Amino acid sequence: MSLISRLAVGLGALFGRRKADEDLDSELRDYLDAAVAEKVRRGMTRDEAVRSAHLETGSLESVKEEVRDVGWEVMIETFGRDVRFALRVMAKNPGFTLIAVLTLALGIGATTAIFSAVNTVLLEPLPYRQAERLVTIWGVNKGQRYDLVSDLDYLDWKSQNRVFESMGASTDEMFTLTGAGEPESIIGYEFSPDFFGVLGVPPLIGRTFAADEDEPGKDRVVVLSYHLWGGQFGGDRSVIGRSITLDGQPYTVIGVMPPSFQYPQGTDLWTPLTVDANDTRDRGSRFLRVMARMKPGVTLPEARMEMGTIAARLRSAYPKTNEGYDVNLVTLRQLISGDVRPALLVLLCSAGLVLLIACANVANLLVSRAVARQREIAIRAALGASRARMIRQFLTESVLLGLVGGALGWLIAYGGASALVAMFPKTIQNLSIPRIDSIPMDRWVLGFALLASLTTGILFGLAPALGAGRSSPGDSLRESGRTGSGGAQGRRLRNVLVVSEVAFSLMLLASAALMIKSFFHLVGANLGFRPNHVLSLRVLLPEYKYKTDTQRAAFSRETLSRVQSVPGVGAAASVTFIPLSMWWGTRQVSALGHPPDPAQKVPQPVWSAITPDYFRVMRIPLLKGRFFSRTDDASTPAVAILSSSLARQLWPNEDPIGKQVSVDGLKNPCKVVGIVGDVYHLGVGIQPNGGSPELTSEVYFPYEQSPTPLLGYVIRTAGDPLSVAKAVQSAIWAVDKEQAISFVETMDQLASETIVIERSSMILLGAFAALAVLLASIGIYGVISYTVARRTYELGIRIALGAGRSQVLRLVIGEGFVLALLGAAIGTAGALSLTRFLSSLLYGVRSADPFTFLAAPVVLLGVAVAACLVPARRALRVDPVVALRNE
Amino acid sequence: MIDNPTPLVQGTLDMLILKTLALEPQHGFGIAQRIEQISRGVFQVNAGSLFPAFRRLERDGLVEGEWRATTNNRRAKYYRLTSFGRRKLDAETKEWGRQTAAIARILEAKA
Repeated sequence: MSLISRLAVGLGALFGRRKADEDLDSELRDYLDAAVAEKVRRGMTRDEAVRSAHLETGSLESVKEEVRDVGWEVMIETFGRDVRFALRVMAKNPGFTLIAVLTLALGIGATTAIFSAVNTVLLEPLPYRQAERLVTIWGVNKGQRYDLVSDLDYLDWKSQNRVFESMGASTDEMFTLTGAGEPESIIGYEFSPDFFGVLGVPPLIGRTFAADEDEPGKDRVVVLSYHLWGGQFGGDRSVIGRSITLDGQPYTVIGVMPPSFQYPQGTDLWTPLTVDANDTRDRGSRFLRVMARMKPGVTLPEARMEMGTIAARLRSAYPKTNEGYDVNLVTLRQLISGDVRPALLVLLCSAGLVLLIACANVANLLVSRAVARQREIAIRAALGASRARMIRQFLTESVLLGLVGGALGWLIAYGGASALVAMFPKTIQNLSIPRIDSIPMDRWVLGFALLASLTTGILFGLAPALGAGRSSPGDSLRESGRTGSGGAQGRRLRNVLVVSEVAFSLMLLASAALMIKSFFHLVGANLGFRPNHVLSLRVLLPEYKYKTDTQRAAFSRETLSRVQSVPGVGAAASVTFIPLSMWWGTRQVSALGHPPDPAQKVPQPVWSAITPDYFRVMRIPLLKGRFFSRTDDASTPAVAILSSSLARQLWPNEDPIGKQVSVDGLKNPCKVVGIVGDVYHLGVGIQPNGGSPELTSEVYFPYEQSPTPLLGYVIRTAGDPLSVAKAVQSAIWAVDKEQAISFVETMDQLASETIVIERSSMILLGAFAALAVLLASIGIYGVISYTVARRTYELGIRIALGAGRSQVLRLVIGEGFVLALLGAAIGTAGALSLTRFLSSLLYGVRSADPFTFLAAPVVLLGVAVAACLVPARRALRVDPVVALRNE
Repeated sequence: MIDNPTPLVQGTLDMLILKTLALEPQHGFGIAQRIEQISRGVFQVNAGSLFPAFRRLERDGLVEGEWRATTNNRRAKYYRLTSFGRRKLDAETKEWGRQTAAIARILEAKA
C-alpha cells in the first residue's frame, strides 16, 4: 500500500474508531462461538467447551489491544491517552506535583539564567565584522605583558607584516566639551583613520574618517558614540556637519556610530590620530593600542610567530629603545571577556550541580511514588498491559513534569537574568567586562532550558519505570506492603540518590564558604591606606586654558585652600592618579650614580604629583625622612618621595634618604626626601588582564614642581564624605566655573567597585549553596520519613518489646546520619579535588582551607540530623497496637 | 494435541494465512482450524496473533474482509485473497522454497 493510502487509512481509523471497535468485537465473539461449537462437536460439555475456549483465546481485551496496536495512528492515540492520564495523576497528588515542579523549576531556572549570562558574555558574537579575526597587539616589556606601543614601532609593524590585512592604532584622550550645558569631561579615543575599517562596522549616520583626516588641519573632525548622541544632542540627525567645542577648539561632527559599537568600553567620541613617520618621535615613548585584522586563512599562532620575528628584527635594529621588547597577541574576545570568564564558569558549574541535586530530589520522589504504585502496576500487568506500555506511561508522566518544571524555570530564569545584570557592573574602569545592558533570553537559552527539562524528565522517569516493570505482578499483589522486592530496589536507588545529593551540596557549600571567606579577607584587606571617610573627584585642566605650569599650580593652590575651608572637611590634597581609580601612569626610575644592573629590569613605578597633605589624607605611613612641604616648589631643588618597595629595589642595602634618582620624563634628577608605605594602587580584587594583586611601587613628586593637568582630589571628612560633595564642587567652581569635574565618589565606593565581581560571585554561589543544602535536606527528609512509614510494623514490634525512646531515635536518625555521612565524605573528596579551579578567584584563602573543609561537613550533618527530626518524632509516636494490627 | 506447540514467526504466519485463503475464503476461526489441521497440530495459532495478522494483511491490501450472514443469522467476517495477495503468496512461496533448500544443503554438508 502506498504511503498516502496508508496515511489515509490511519486517519480514517482514528476517526472511525468506534465502528471498527464494534466490528472487531463481534468478530471476536464469533470466533469464540465457533471455537465453542467445535469443542462441543468433539465431545466436551457446553460448560467445559466455553471455559476451554476462553482459556485458549485469552483475554478479549488484550487481543483487542494487540489488534489496535497495528497501524501508526495508534501511537498518537496512546500518546494522547498517556498525557491525559499523566495529568490526572499529577492533579490527584497536588503536594507531590508542587514540590517536584518547584524543585525542577529552581534547578532549571538557575542553570538557564547563568547559561544565558555565559552565552551573552562569552559566546555572543561581537558586533564587529568577523570579530574572531581581530587581534590586539601589545608590547611585552620587562614582565609587563600589556604594554602600550610606540608610534614608530607601530608603523614598522604595519609595513613589515604579512599576516594582517589591516592594522590600526588608538589612544585615549580626555576632552572638555563646552557650549552644551555644564562643561563635560568626555572620554575620547583617537583612532587612526583606518581603525574603523579594521573593526568593520559602518556608522549609523554620516561617515567615519577619511584617509587624510589624520593630517594636521584636516583632523578637526569627530565621530560621536550612540549614547553621547542620544544624551548630549538629543538624537538629532541634523548634528552631522555641526560644530562642537572640544578643549576650546571647534570640531565638526561627521558621523554617529550604532549603539552596539563600544570600542573601547565607555568611549564617548572618536577623533583622528595623527601618526606621522616624518615627525621625530621617540621610539621608546609608548602610548598606542594596536588592533589588527588577520588575513583570511592566517591562524593566531602564525600571526604570533610573524610578529615575534618582526619584534626581534626591531630589537636588533634599535637596541637602545627596544631591548627586551617582545609582542603579545590577544584576541579581542579574550580581551573583552577574559576577566569575568573564570567567575562565570564557576557559577555555571555550580548551577549545574544545583540542577543535578534538583533532579535527584525529583527522582527520589518519583521512585517512592512508583514503589507506592506497585499495586496499580501489578493490576495493569494482570489486565494485559505490556511492560513497554507501562514504561512509556511513566516516561510520559516524568517528561510532562520536566516540561512544566522547565516552563516555570524559564520564568525564574527571566527574572534571574535581570538580577544578574544588576549584579555585574556595566563597566569597570580598565577591566575587561563586556557592557551588558540586558541578557536576552534568546533561542539558544530557550533551547537549553527545553533540553534540560526533557533530559531530567527522561533520566529520572526511567529509573522508576524500569524498576516498576521488573517485579512480577503476582508478588506485588500478594505483598502486604511490609517487604517486597520492588521496595528493596526502590530503597537502594533512593539511598544512592540521597547520598549523591548530599555529596553535591557539600561541594557547593565548601565552595561558597571559601568564596565568602575570601571576600571577607578582601574587604578587610589592608590596602596601604585608609579609604573610609574620603571623598574623591577628578579634574582635567584643559590645555587651551591652562597652558603654563604657573597657571596649573595656582589653580591647585586656590582650589585646595577653598576646599579646606568647607565645613566638614578635615584635610584635602590632590594626587595625579587616585588609588583604586584604575587610572595609572608609570615612569622609569633609576638611581643616579648607580650603574643600572643589566640583568635587573629598571623599576617602572606608578607616579603621581601630590600636594603636601596627601599622605595625611590617605593615612599612608611615613617610614623615613619627611613628607613634602610648602617649601618644595618650583624654585627649590627637585625632590621625590619613594614607596618602600621602590627604595628597596634601588638601594637594597643603603639608606635612600638624600640619594638622587633620575626619572624618565623629568629634566632634573630628584633628591629622595622621604620613604612611605606601599599601597595597592590597583586594589586587591581581580586585576586588569589577569595577574594577582600586588603592592605597587610608587614615586611621588610635589605638585608645585610637576603640575600635571590631571588632578585627583582626595578629601578626608569627619562624617559622610558625600555630604560635602556639593560644597567641594562649588569651591572648585568658584575658582573656575567652566571646569568639568568628574567621578565624584567616595573611596569606599571605589574600593567596593574593585571587588564587585568577587562580591557578586560570592552572593550567587552562596545562594546556590543554600538552595543545594535545602534540597538535600528535603531529600533526606523524604527518604527517612518513607523509611519510617515502611517500617511502622517493625517499629511497632520493637516498641512493644520495650525499645526506649533513644533506641528508636537512634534507629531513625542513625539511618539518616549514615547516609549524610557517606555523602559528606564523598562530597569532601570531590570538593578537595575540584576547588583548585576556584583558586584564581580566592584571596588569602587556600583552595584546601582546613577550617572550611571541617566546618562544611559538620554544618551539613547538622542539617541532615535536623531533617530527620520530624520523621523521628513520628516514629516515636507509633502506637504498637495500631501498627501491629494494620501491618 | 502436541504439548509444546512451535511459536510462529510473524512473517510465517502471514504466509500461512494467505495460503489457507488461497483455497477458499474463510472466517477467523476457520482459518485457525485449517492451519492446525494441515500442519497436523504442529502450529496452533491463538487469537492474539491471528487477529492482528488479519488487520495487517487487510491494511497491506493482501486480503479483503467482507461481512456475511451465517447460518444462525449472525454476522461473520470472511476474509478473501486479493489478486495482489495471490501474487505476493506466489513470490513468498518461491522465496521460502529457495531458503529451505539452502538451509538443507548447509545442514547436510559434510564437515
